[in-house]
Amino acid sequence: MNKLISIDEARSLIERGTTLSFAGPEAALDQLPHGRWIAGTIPYFMLPEGGAVITDGHVFATELSQLGEVTFESYAADQLAGISANAPDHGFALTIIPAGGDCHRRFAAEAADYPATFVKPPVGWIAGVHLSDLGKVTPKVYDGRTGTKFEDRAVVAYVHLPAGKQLSIEIVNLFEPDDGDVLQFDQVGSVTRSCRVNGEPTDFAAYIRGRGMEGGQLPLVGDYAGAYVNVSLQDVGERDVAMYAPVFPGVQYRFAKPVGDYTTAFRERLAKQSFEGAAMTCNCILNFVFGELEGKRIGGVGGPVTFGEIAYQLLNQTLVVVRVN
Amino acid sequence: MIRSTTIGMTVPDRNSPCWVRLANGGFARLKTNHLGAKMLAKRIERSADPPATKAFEIYSFFVKWEPSLREELAQLSSL
Repeated sequence: MNKLISIDEARSLIERGTTLSFAGPEAALDQLPHGRWIAGTIPYFMLPEGGAVITDGHVFATELSQLGEVTFESYAADQLAGISANAPDHGFALTIIPAGGDCHRRFAAEAADYPATFVKPPVGWIAGVHLSDLGKVTPKVYDGRTGTKFEDRAVVAYVHLPAGKQLSIEIVNLFEPDDGDVLQFDQVGSVTRSCRVNGEPTDFAAYIRGRGMEGGQLPLVGDYAGAYVNVSLQDVGERDVAMYAPVFPGVQYRFAKPVGDYTTAFRERLAKQSFEGAAMTCNCILNFVFGELEGKRIGGVGGPVTFGEIAYQLLNQTLVVVRVN
Repeated sequence: MIRSTTIGMTVPDRNSPCWVRLANGGFARLKTNHLGAKMLAKRIERSADPPATKAFEIYSFFVKWEPSLREELAQLSSL
């Protein structure tokens, strides 16, 4: 199950002992009874009928019971390596982290280097808020066993897959690097002042403004041995550039080529993407906003539209698909 | 011990020299569409860990994802 349901339906599922992951507005999640679930706040969704903003009365439910045995855990910011380390040998760690806190910052910077990341992978998303509430309301995650909600803690549902079941973690990234300058960074960081452009030390903020990229519609695209991993611009200040994910030394970045029409581009890409056995998907709020996806159908399977996506590590402006077959 | 896949490809023993070859640059030449393999290749390239540590990490990755890495397993002897 990956669909929007009423609070009463969610309550009924929980009371029957179903294991679930929820996404929804805080006012809705607050009404759920204790049980076998985790959740994160977000009011944005891609649904079969189109992109939607849900502010009350419903939650998006991802049922985990049918995938295998599920256990739960939560982690503070200094414990995040445990997300992968404690994951089952055959399975995955469905992880939800609230945006803006130490957990978010540390996971973004460190997850790619946790010892077990690539053999016991985290997947999931970053919880957020309605964009009109930015700075006024904090994102939350929930441990349904106690009904506790956290502003700065990672909640994890460990899905133990039965023998014979195969996990696939895939991404759909509309962005490709342009043919222009190669940008590199000497330090891990999501706020930076300088970079090297084609090897030359450069004021990063001035460079971005010089290229007219300060609006943030186009991310940097890092080349990970042929996999494209985006880093989206959050704010280009006078001196510092803030990004929604860190840049890493040793990775070559270029700005992305423009995407003409997100709806068409997603439809074309998702028509080629298998959703057989889809366990969960999530897409990025920046795609939703810049692509003006509210009310538009793009295909695929429904899921939350989030403040960051997790597939092994933190991603930006990317659709993540987790499948079990 | 050799681990067998359903089509007969095998994950070489953890002491096979292929893992050190991969750790010393061979992994970057692997042709793959597997997202995790690409990301791990970059991590191995960036890492300051000793080759033996990298080699075991690559071996563990192939054991974990063996059913998804049949084409990659076929390349190991040539990397």
